[in-house]
Amino acid sequence: MKKRLFSVVYMFVLTLVFTSIVSAVKVFNEEKIRTNQRVKLERIILKVLDIPVKEKTSDEALGRIYARRVKGVEVRDKPLYVGYAEDGRTIVGYAFPIGGSGFWGPIYGMVAVDPEAATILGIAFYRHSETPGLGARITEDWFTRQFQGLPLHPIEGDKKIFYLKPEGTGKARDELDAVTGATGTSRAVEAFVNRELDHFLRDLWGSVKKG
Amino acid sequence: MPKPPTNAQIFMQGLWSDNPVLRQVLGICSTLAVTNLLINTLVMDAGLIFTVTMSSLTVSLLRKYTPMRIRMMAQTLIIASYVIIVDISIKAHLPDISEALGPYVGLIITNCIVMGRCEAFARNNPPWPSFLDGLAMSIGYSLVLLTIAVIREPLGFGTMFGFRVMPGGFTPWTVMIMAPGAFFTLGILVWILRAYFPQTAGEKKS
Repeated sequence: MKKRLFSVVYMFVLTLVFTSIVSAVKVFNEEKIRTNQRVKLERIILKVLDIPVKEKTSDEALGRIYARRVKGVEVRDKPLYVGYAEDGRTIVGYAFPIGGSGFWGPIYGMVAVDPEAATILGIAFYRHSETPGLGARITEDWFTRQFQGLPLHPIEGDKKIFYLKPEGTGKARDELDAVTGATGTSRAVEAFVNRELDHFLRDLWGSVKKG
Repeated sequence: MPKPPTNAQIFMQGLWSDNPVLRQVLGICSTLAVTNLLINTLVMDAGLIFTVTMSSLTVSLLRKYTPMRIRMMAQTLIIASYVIIVDISIKAHLPDISEALGPYVGLIITNCIVMGRCEAFARNNPPWPSFLDGLAMSIGYSLVLLTIAVIREPLGFGTMFGFRVMPGGFTPWTVMIMAPGAFFTLGILVWILRAYFPQTAGEKKS
């Protein structure tokens, strides 16, 4: 009986000691982890809004640029980031998060449109589980740069906003290069980005324009 | 009772003759998962070395007080605590790598090497040899992982630590980036090693 009681007390004390240590480490680092996540998001928003930031810009400097040039608002419970020009008043574009299922798992990204929602300013994919070297190449510059300046229109019938075609075969402005060797990922991206853009133009743009 | 091994013997066992990956075939899941980039491998190795060494030391220090019946529970608690500390530290200081490693840092908890060393060695041996055993075993694991990564990264991405090493016209072997590439590399490594350095009677050429 005494032995059993000892086991319980022993485990209790051990758990108490170790969870205290872990909690202390967690509390100590929490601030830093949250900053990392915020900086990452800010960097992506600035990038898609085409507000130039150097690769080497420190986190603090980035935070200052972000505070001056971007304002986060909510439109129908969804986040929308309004980008401003250097003067801090003229709107240069709107950025909003997009997401959908990829080939292996969900893909999250951010896209920005110009102040009239007539063309795309920039797009970035920042969380995904696509195959490294193949599907994961959707995060590379050559892929995302193709979207800049792409004309936008709500989807009518089966006329999509853009199509991903085998590399080098695209002729029209809305035919972009797919990722060679990653047909699954390319198809998935074509489907969900078209859907999300259409959703924005149809359901949210009205509210955005009103302010 | 057999004579307890000397510190040097303990060390050589972990690095070579009892190498966890090559000889005991433990910790394979992470071996396959994180070895496509050297930098990720290095961070994973550091995490594992810290976890195994500290867990072995702690289990050994508590070995006289821990009741036999609940020792597994106590070990799991100790290991899990160290792993969470590693995970939080990487998230705070190396956010990019943390993302690349994904769930694998947390999965160190289930890495057979950690609990294996606690059960097989640390709970019956004094702290200093246990510490050495943990260190040697995890370094042995790390060396194998680095070897695989040194093969996989250049072939899969054409780079080493992110620097281009392959000639311009080189077509990366996509298979090397994915888990099967690691599987082939590891298999071939174990094969070569066991062919040249047979250990058990069954492996010796007759």
